[in-house]
Amino acid sequence: MRGDARNWDEEAYRETILKEREIQTRTVFRTAWAPSLNPNPDTIVVASSDGSVSSYSIPHLVSKLPLGFSNVKAPYLLMAEPNCFLKGHEGPAYDVKFYGHGGEESMLLSCGDDGRIRGWRWKDCIQSDVPIHLQGDQVKPVLDLVNPQHKGPWGALSPIPENNALAVDNQGGSIFSAAGDSCVYCWDVETGQVKMVFKGHSDYLHSIVARNSTNQIITGSEDGTARIWDCKSGKSVQVIEPLKNNKLKGSCVSCIALDASESWLACGTGRSLSVWNLPASECISRTSTRASVQDVVFDENQILAVGAEPLLSRFDINGVILSQMQCAPQSAFSVSLHTSGVTAIGGYGGVVDVISQFGSHLCTFGCKCV
Amino acid sequence: MEDEEIEEGMLVEEEAAPPQPEKSPYEVLRESKSSVENVVAKMLSIKKEAKPKSELRELVTQMFLNFVTLRQANRSILLEEDRVKSETESAKTPVDLTTLQLHNLMYEKSHYVKAIKACKDFKSKYPDIDLVPEEEFFRDAPANIKEPTLSNDAAQDLMLKRLNFELFQRKELCKLNEKLEIHKKGLQETIANRKKFLNSLPSHLKSLKKASLPVQNQFGNMHTKKLKQHHSAELLPPPLYVVYSQFSAQKEAFEEKIDLEIVGSVKDAQAFARQQANRDTGVSTKGETSRLEDDAPDEEDDGQRRRKRPKRAPTKQNPDQSGVYQVHPLKVILNVYDDEASDPKSAKLITLKFEYLLKMNVVCVGVEGSHEAAENNILCNLFPDDTGLELPHQSAKLIVDETPAFDEKRTSRPYKWAQHLAGIDLLPEVSPLLAVHDAPTSDITKTEAIMSGLSLYRQQSRVQTVVQRIRSRKKAQMALVEQLESLMKLKWPALSWESVPWALHAPLCRLHGCSPVGPPPNLASSLPVIDKEQVQEPIDADSVGQSGSSKEELESMREDGELPSLVQVASVSDDKLVQHKGDSRRGISLLSKRPPVSKAKPLSYKRHNEELDFLLDTESDVDEPAHIVPEEESGVPIQCFEVAGKSWVDFGAREFRLVLTRSIDLEKRNVKLEAKIKISMEYPLRPPFFTLSICTMSGENLYESDDSELYNELRAMEAEVNLHIVKMLPQNEDVNILGHQVCCLAMLFDYYMDEASPSSEKRQSTSVVDVGLCKPVSGQLIARSFRGRDRRKMISWKDMECTPGYPY
Repeated sequence: MRGDARNWDEEAYRETILKEREIQTRTVFRTAWAPSLNPNPDTIVVASSDGSVSSYSIPHLVSKLPLGFSNVKAPYLLMAEPNCFLKGHEGPAYDVKFYGHGGEESMLLSCGDDGRIRGWRWKDCIQSDVPIHLQGDQVKPVLDLVNPQHKGPWGALSPIPENNALAVDNQGGSIFSAAGDSCVYCWDVETGQVKMVFKGHSDYLHSIVARNSTNQIITGSEDGTARIWDCKSGKSVQVIEPLKNNKLKGSCVSCIALDASESWLACGTGRSLSVWNLPASECISRTSTRASVQDVVFDENQILAVGAEPLLSRFDINGVILSQMQCAPQSAFSVSLHTSGVTAIGGYGGVVDVISQFGSHLCTFGCKCV
Repeated sequence: MEDEEIEEGMLVEEEAAPPQPEKSPYEVLRESKSSVENVVAKMLSIKKEAKPKSELRELVTQMFLNFVTLRQANRSILLEEDRVKSETESAKTPVDLTTLQLHNLMYEKSHYVKAIKACKDFKSKYPDIDLVPEEEFFRDAPANIKEPTLSNDAAQDLMLKRLNFELFQRKELCKLNEKLEIHKKGLQETIANRKKFLNSLPSHLKSLKKASLPVQNQFGNMHTKKLKQHHSAELLPPPLYVVYSQFSAQKEAFEEKIDLEIVGSVKDAQAFARQQANRDTGVSTKGETSRLEDDAPDEEDDGQRRRKRPKRAPTKQNPDQSGVYQVHPLKVILNVYDDEASDPKSAKLITLKFEYLLKMNVVCVGVEGSHEAAENNILCNLFPDDTGLELPHQSAKLIVDETPAFDEKRTSRPYKWAQHLAGIDLLPEVSPLLAVHDAPTSDITKTEAIMSGLSLYRQQSRVQTVVQRIRSRKKAQMALVEQLESLMKLKWPALSWESVPWALHAPLCRLHGCSPVGPPPNLASSLPVIDKEQVQEPIDADSVGQSGSSKEELESMREDGELPSLVQVASVSDDKLVQHKGDSRRGISLLSKRPPVSKAKPLSYKRHNEELDFLLDTESDVDEPAHIVPEEESGVPIQCFEVAGKSWVDFGAREFRLVLTRSIDLEKRNVKLEAKIKISMEYPLRPPFFTLSICTMSGENLYESDDSELYNELRAMEAEVNLHIVKMLPQNEDVNILGHQVCCLAMLFDYYMDEASPSSEKRQSTSVVDVGLCKPVSGQLIARSFRGRDRRKMISWKDMECTPGYPY
């Protein structure tokens, strides 16, 4: 097709240009490491703004990198083919999580802008032998939950609220979804029914984590507060206002994270990061960042945070920056940590940057359209 | 001799004959001889015995007696001899006579034998004569020949008659021949007359033709010109011939609104063709050259050609006529007219010139009358990845191996589509005149290959595709210039198509400036830079310079071994760096083109570095264990890498800076949205690409970038403008896409500002309580304006107008 006046197909060319731009504007909203027996990072699942949930094999991608790629040259942006591709949602897919006790029996959950939560048997996904470009609807979800609509006057129905984040309680067999109608829905995995609705936030929810040790969940909302809920009663136990003192516009609790002991909470609130000690219910530190924080995760007693800048920052509990390093996405929406210490950062541009435990870029890949 | 012996014999006989009666003289002779001998013997014995001489007397007497007999005998012998002699003489005469007679007879005989033989050998002529066969003779011969008897011998008679008949016939034929000869001479005379007339005819016709020229012009039927063009088309090199023939076929078959013309010196072309033929074959074909020469005088008396002569002269002097850039003397000119205009001749869109580089076997195209640089050439990237800077095929690259890129100075360039148009992919690499001398078999296969190639050529409708592309390119460029002009005058572009919300939206923001960035292209020089004050503002220039230099900056940073990844402690805000990163993300490809003239750049760079150093110090002071990762790989080179593979896309791209401002409150705080618009040559197929950045200015000169805060919003706006609205527009609005994008951007900007301003209420809910005759109805729907993890703002369109949030 290049420079060819023969068999010119203008429409097809226009399509390719637009497709190219579409890929550029795509966002990876969440990455998740697939459970595997292999202690090394193996497969990463990516939820992106085109509603797709796809998995990529890290060893495979690394093997495709050009030889001699080390820290010397500019990194090579690989347009990667997924090895499993699920057409998950209409509109963006916001979160993926694995439900279950690890291994291949676990279920891949995703939620998205269409207000659905869908679950696939992970084994089915990785064992599918359908060619990748046909795979979109091949694997049938075993779970398909839709958020309820609100009733307005005269029977008017509100639009289906989106699901912005998921949390799971493996023991209780429940999924918690942070929905766009400011409610948290607790779903029973077996029956597919809403077990409980947590109401109280005044604006839509951005993030949710389950604190299984105390049977609590913690949510972060657009209204600028985080709440701790008791799952038994469905009542709000505590309201955390990270920005009580300086109310800034557009500050929402966009991300929250719990450490392994489930006693420390990190909240990304607009352009600041605050750390709370839950047992003591007090704010340990509050740090302002240059760009708004969009995802945080605990790495033992340190905090990894990414935001609307191409940087991965590492803080200690006191909010002191330990290090910052460049990452490929210009605006990162997701940071996820593998048990081996490998970090994956996904964000704007449909780019996922995988950083090894030693701080070098393992590989950087762009999600290709299927 | 014999006679003498005979005489002697006879003599001997005669000697003995006389004494025949008694004794023959020979006997006498013999007796006397012997008696002499006796006497001599007796005498000798006496002498020896000395006997007395008396006895001798006796003996002497006897002697004498013997001598007398001897003499007598001798005499009678002689007499005898004489007699025999005379007898012989008399007998010889009759013998002689008879001998003579015999001789005569012998001679006579041989003469007769000879005569007989001659008679016997005599041959008649008649077997050689082609006679009429006998039966025919009997049938056809007139009576006066058949009747009289000419000879007694029947066969002889017949033969004679036949011969006579033959003779008669032949005489008749001779007479006929003569008659015909005369007739022939008469005919030849008439032929010569007619020939003379015919010879004078062309000049008559020519004068007629000349007389008809004004009439042809009057009626717009350029028949003569067309003929002449076809004539010179035969001299075109094959690729140009394909271009010419296919275009004219397209024109005639589909009434395509195009015009073709062949310009250049026909004489040069003829000379070239002749030279080519000579070189290729070593033998110049008589027919070829004579035909070529025939053309020459025909062209000579053409008024049109004479007009072109001075025009041709400068091209001839062109130094690159020789060497690798040798151009064939003939060129094809293509005029493309607007296919939508009512009057076909009025709206000429563009004029292209096709020329053929002999050495490289490439066809070059240029816009006639334009001397712009390659990147402003309207033809570049007509099809993807075709900048015209590279030679299209390997063989040509080999020829000019020292300069892999095409000569930059030439205005016409070897685009790939031109090669496709010329069918270089299907023509064999032989000169046209050489093909004539080829062996017939190979010729047939070759022509077959060409025929199939040409049918493929037509199937692919190359001509149509290219003409359409050129037309749409030109129209798009004209529309683009119009839109840009309106923007430069700080007017919102007028949109004719109004069924989109932004077309009806009256923008609240101001169009503050619009100016070209980068190397001043033609457009920049032709259009006045309106936004003068903007440019003169130091900080403004600074920011432009920064964005321009950021690539070099980043590179040099890496070279210096400094740590670009080192970012200030969060409490310190360095907005510029952020801005940099944002800019360089996409600006890279364009930046390399910027000539490093901006004075502001190095200064700002330096300052920036100092800041960095300072930050490094402070940070290491504060935090000891912080391990700072020296980062080689930043996000920037990733983009750079990606762009590098597609450098052709940016070839000829122009960049503009559009500034929208909106005052957000009473304190004269202004929000400035700066959009870098990259318009590629492929407009509108590749829509202009907007890169946004935003900053707030309070008062006059305090700038505060909100990039990082609004990063996601800006990207969403970019996506909207660059991608989504393109999908919404119908095909025929394509050319006005820039206007749509700008208007849409303004609308989005307005909208975002409305939301961002604190005065506007953030959340609303519509609740209804209906108290009336019926049962009260209550309920509420929450209106939302943000949604999703990226806090996307929602716009709902109602009757082509937008309201923030939904459901409204």
